[in-house]
Amino acid sequence: MTSHASIIQLDDVTFAYPGMASPALAGISLEAQPGEHVCIVGPNGSGKSTLAQVVNGLLTPSAGSMRIGGIDPANSAESALEARRMVATVFQHPEDQMVTSVVADDVAFGPENLGLPRGEITRRVRASLAAVAIESLAQADPADLSGGQRQCVAIAGALAMDPQVLVLDEPTSMLDAPGRAAVRSTIERLREHGITIVHITHDVDEALAADRVVALNGGRIAWEGTPDQLVRTPTLFAELGLDEPHTVDLARQLEARGFRLPHTIDAQLLCEALADELRTRRISTAVPTPQKSRGHDASQPAEPALSFSQASYTYVDPPHRRLLPFIHREAPRVPYAIDCVSLALEPGTVTALMGRTGAGKSTLAELACALKLPCAGDVRVQGASTADRAARSRVRRAIGYVGQFPERQLFAATVREDVAYGPTNLGIAAGDELDRLVRDALRACGLEPTDELLGRSPHQLSGGQRRAVALAGVLAMQQPILVLDEPMAGLDPAGRDRMRRLIVRLRTEGATLLLITHSADDAALLADRVAVLDRGRLVAHGPARDILRDPRITLPQNDGLGLGEPWALGFERALATRGIDLPAAPLTVDELVEEVIRYGTAHQPR
Amino acid sequence: MARRISLGSYYAAVSPIHALDPRVKIAITLLYMVSCLIARGAPALALATLLALATCTLARIPLGRFARQLRPLAAVLVVTSLVNLLFADVGDVVAAWGPFAIRTAGIEAAVLYTVRFLLMFAMGSLLMLTTTPTAIADGLRGLLAPLERFGVPVGEAAMVVSIALRFVPTLARDARAITTAQTARGADLAGRGPIAYVRACIPLATPLFTGAMRHAENLGRAMDARGYTGSAERTCWHELRLDSRRDGAAIAVAAICLVAILALSVIG
Repeated sequence: MTSHASIIQLDDVTFAYPGMASPALAGISLEAQPGEHVCIVGPNGSGKSTLAQVVNGLLTPSAGSMRIGGIDPANSAESALEARRMVATVFQHPEDQMVTSVVADDVAFGPENLGLPRGEITRRVRASLAAVAIESLAQADPADLSGGQRQCVAIAGALAMDPQVLVLDEPTSMLDAPGRAAVRSTIERLREHGITIVHITHDVDEALAADRVVALNGGRIAWEGTPDQLVRTPTLFAELGLDEPHTVDLARQLEARGFRLPHTIDAQLLCEALADELRTRRISTAVPTPQKSRGHDASQPAEPALSFSQASYTYVDPPHRRLLPFIHREAPRVPYAIDCVSLALEPGTVTALMGRTGAGKSTLAELACALKLPCAGDVRVQGASTADRAARSRVRRAIGYVGQFPERQLFAATVREDVAYGPTNLGIAAGDELDRLVRDALRACGLEPTDELLGRSPHQLSGGQRRAVALAGVLAMQQPILVLDEPMAGLDPAGRDRMRRLIVRLRTEGATLLLITHSADDAALLADRVAVLDRGRLVAHGPARDILRDPRITLPQNDGLGLGEPWALGFERALATRGIDLPAAPLTVDELVEEVIRYGTAHQPR
Repeated sequence: MARRISLGSYYAAVSPIHALDPRVKIAITLLYMVSCLIARGAPALALATLLALATCTLARIPLGRFARQLRPLAAVLVVTSLVNLLFADVGDVVAAWGPFAIRTAGIEAAVLYTVRFLLMFAMGSLLMLTTTPTAIADGLRGLLAPLERFGVPVGEAAMVVSIALRFVPTLARDARAITTAQTARGADLAGRGPIAYVRACIPLATPLFTGAMRHAENLGRAMDARGYTGSAERTCWHELRLDSRRDGAAIAVAAICLVAILALSVIG
């Protein structure tokens, strides 16, 4: 044994799926020390998940050798089992990992499979729930929990196997921002327990929190190093399929304007350095660019594309008519999913709809699209009430709906049929015209509409391509108003980028968009206006610039909603504490760069 | 958030019924259902109803919640009642319209079958409401354990039942999301005629099926990773042990009531 200290040791491991031309993993050599936190990154299809399944023993390498805890699983069936039991895995979909309807029982599933005695199972269940700090949920039903909590249950279930190595296969990719934060802090906490973590992720923040980053591309290791080394080579982020951290983005953009700044992920450090630069350095290259005006000029009040007037909706059945009407009792209070919301969307604007999980965002989206009808009040699409059955087809032609994970609605035998389904139903096109709509919609979604693609089954495509086909199926209906329910969820950074570009393009083409998002940065980048829901009520609505700067909305302090603020805004505040007051509050990194330049030219050091 | 689907869902509460051994609950429920099929006459049915209501009260399940559970059955009961009412050909004619006649035997049959089905479904629902899917699986495995000697894979079968129950709400949510999405794409779900209807269902059924396959694949992988082999070495965290007081009392009460129901039916 060369390095008996490593808990995972892969030597030149190759794995090929049967029937595939090129191997999913080609010559991977990898080591991990006990207690180390290794992040595996790389674009979709780079072999990350295959690597995870080789490490946890679900797949056997076709060539090369491996040792887990010094044991070679290829030796015998017993050693394979022994190696497997040292590794536990948490997968992407929290929902599909729960085997039962009580949290504690679910955590006990693994120990039961190991054939442990009852006392030991009880001990492990308790310890695992405590390790992820969800003891209070022991008797809850996983179906009632949020995605983040469910993923914590899955982690507890893995820990109950008492593993040496924990493999995390994109555990946060299906979660919203609060869920992601909960899972991340859980992972952080596990490091104190000394367990080795192999963490597959698309998320740059998660990668940078690791001890070591291994980047895969095309089944090979494309890069390997510490987060510090990664940050020092900013071009790597794009190459490795990662988002660039805001700090690196800002430093790089300012460097191009003559600043000298450190490449770091520590915002405080960058802020300090920038404040120093602004106090000492003359800004020579600065050419102040006029600030883009965002939002619609309120020159003439147009008819709103979509409007809610005192709309309410409840999932609870309306109270039954009383049998004895003369007995006066207080009517039971009905919980409203949407409670008296009044909101109007001007044509050609993008409105971000924000709010915590369960605030009623998806319900409001379905009300907008006449998929649910308000139990009180009125919802109008281009002036037509959604409750008016005679106007229903007009409403359908005016407003399109992209639900969460739209790729799950694909059904047809070919891409062409699936994209054409909506336009055919609405009767808006046929023949050559329909073919043109289908091709245009696919192209808009970033897919080249070759005859080969059009004839393929949508189920044979990759995840990102399926999402694009599903979107095209909505865009092909040519509706001027679109409702998008968390369109970035579950996409890799490249996919998210494509989606952002598509939204910008739709807006410039004059579409009215209602965009449900958890990300304040996306709202800052894409939206003209922001509407905020809390427990079914509209608590704020106005220009993105105002709402995203409102501490009652963005910060959790003083009973705020804590929806998060754009990163640039937090950075601006940090600069202000160091005596640098930027002329205007920036919402995006690009705006922040311009503000810094403007400040620099106005306050030249003597 | 979305409305909870009540089928296969567990109502968490601390009650003597919740605490019963699942084997006892399953066995009593099955015997009760058989008794319901045999029961006839007002006294027997009244006693059976009383037993169901008492169980519901003891289980601390709100009556409204319980009633909601029974609602899906209403349509079935209306149809069977109509069939019974209109197609009974014995007894005195009470009312007649053209070829249709309502006879006393028809009314009797309609009432009898409605009450029987209602009671059977009610007790089945109570079992689901008070017992987690894991406990049901454990209970079934306990009850069917003798069959293992004849090579029946009881452990696997129990796991299948448990997982099926656990995924009912998930698939229901999938179905709703897919229906919503296809409606927004202008799907006409009220097709004319059987062929048109089947055609209209394809955009719903196909994604629901692929979704179920996806869940199954993910779950299978997760279970594999957590060491599930279906082997006999698997232990059971919740030991099934009959509590002589609690379970004994339940068995005694159930036995007396069921015998009484049968006796009343024979006399009536």
